[in-house]
Amino acid sequence: MSKIEVNITVNGAKHRLEVGPKERLIDTLRERLHLTGTKEGCGVGECGACTVILDGEAVHSCLILTAQVDGSEVLTVEGLEVDGRLHPLQEAFIQHHAIQCGFCTPGMLMSAKALLDKNPNPTREEIKTAIEGNLCRCTGYEQIIEAIESAANELQAASH
Amino acid sequence: MIDYEFIKARSLKEALDFLGNYEDVKAIAGGTDLIVDIRKENVRAKGFKRLLDISGLKELEFIEKERDRVVLGALLTHTSLIESPIIEQHFPLLASAAKTIGSPQIRNRGTIGGNINNASPAADLLPPLIALKAQVKLCSVRGERTMSLEEFLAGPYKTNRQSDELMTEVHIPLVNEDYLGNFQKIGRRKAMNIARLNLAILLGINDGTIFDPRVVPGAATAYPIRFGKVEEAISGKDIKDIDPVEIGELASEEMISFTGVRWSTPYKRVALASLVKRALESIFQEAKVDE
Repeated sequence: MSKIEVNITVNGAKHRLEVGPKERLIDTLRERLHLTGTKEGCGVGECGACTVILDGEAVHSCLILTAQVDGSEVLTVEGLEVDGRLHPLQEAFIQHHAIQCGFCTPGMLMSAKALLDKNPNPTREEIKTAIEGNLCRCTGYEQIIEAIESAANELQAASH
Repeated sequence: MIDYEFIKARSLKEALDFLGNYEDVKAIAGGTDLIVDIRKENVRAKGFKRLLDISGLKELEFIEKERDRVVLGALLTHTSLIESPIIEQHFPLLASAAKTIGSPQIRNRGTIGGNINNASPAADLLPPLIALKAQVKLCSVRGERTMSLEEFLAGPYKTNRQSDELMTEVHIPLVNEDYLGNFQKIGRRKAMNIARLNLAILLGINDGTIFDPRVVPGAATAYPIRFGKVEEAISGKDIKDIDPVEIGELASEEMISFTGVRWSTPYKRVALASLVKRALESIFQEAKVDE
C-alpha cells in the first residue's frame, strides 16, 4: 500500500508523517505520537472518548483518516496543560469530582474546551449540547456540567 | 479486508477528472458514515478500490441566496447549516433537523452532500429537503445535470448518481411566509441517535386554509417519500376542521400500505401517528399565533 505524506501540527509541534490509507487520526495520535490520553471507546463515533480539536472544532478522531487532515492543527488533552500547569477545565474537573474511572475525561475536556473557545459564557443548556456526544457511565454528568460552568466563570474572571 | 488507494482532490476539476477516469472510486467528505462502514466491513462500503478525499474542496462550502432560491455547496457541514442566518431565516425546518443529527463532533464533520448521498432511510436531512422540494446538481467531465431530490433517491442507500458524477450543490426554492414547517424525530436517546422515525411537514396556510401540504416521514418506508394520501386529506381544509389524531392514524395506514406489516410495525404505527399529530399541532399553534 502506498504511503501518503501528511504534515500536521499536534499540540503546537509540527510532524511530517508517512501514513497508510486506512490510518485514523486516533491511530496516529496513540500509536505513532504516543499521545495515549486520547481514548478509543466505541470506534464508531457514538461515545466521544476519542474527541480532539481539529482546526478549532471538536471531532471524533476515530472517524477521520489521518491522510485527510494534511495541513491541519490538532489539539489533544495533552495540549491543555501549559508549563506544567493544568488548564482551568482540568482543575475544575478535579475540584468538582467530575472524574471517576477517567476514561471519558479526555474527550469530555476537549468537547468542553471547544465550547469555551467559541462561547466563553455558555448556558447550562449549551454545555449539555456541547457534551451530548460524550458518554460517561460513572458520574451522571451533573459534576461534569458544574465543572465546566465553574471553569467558564474562572476563565471569564481571568480575562477581565 | 477492504483495501483502497487514497487520493486527495486539490480542486473540483481534479476530482471530476479522477471520477471520469476510474469506475471504482468512492468519495469521502466528513466520513462519519463511510469510515464506520469501512471499519465494520459493511457490504455498502465494498466494491471500491480508490478513496477520493473531497473534504478539502473549499469551493463546495458556500451558501448563496439568489432571487428565488438558496444554493448550498454540497460540503457544508451540519454545523454550518445550523449557524447560517440564511438557513435560519428561510428554512428553519432544515435547521431544526440538522440540530438533531448526531452530536457536535458529528455535526462538525458530516456534510449535507454526504447525508444525501449515503441515502440512509433514516437520514435526517432527507425529509425536510424533500418537503422543501430541493434540487440536486451533479457534475461530471461530461457536463452537469440537475434533478429533484425525490428523483435522485432510488432506494435505501441507493441513488441515481452515475459513477463519474459528484454532487456539488443543493438548491432550495424560497417559500413565502405562508409556509410553516415542523420536524419531529424519535430515537433511543436524545444525542447521537439514528432516527427510529423522523418526519418533516411543511404546510402553506392562508387564512387558516391549508394549501400545498408536504408530508415526508423518514425511516417509515424504504426511503423517505411524500405521503400523498395524507397530503390530500388536509389540502384545502381549514385547520380548525382537522383532527391531528385522525391524520396521524391516516399516516400510519399509508405507511403500512407501502411497507406491509413488518416486525417494527406495531411500534411504528403508534409512533408515526403520534409524530404526525405533534407536528400538526405545533404548526397549527404557530399559525394561530401568526394571525
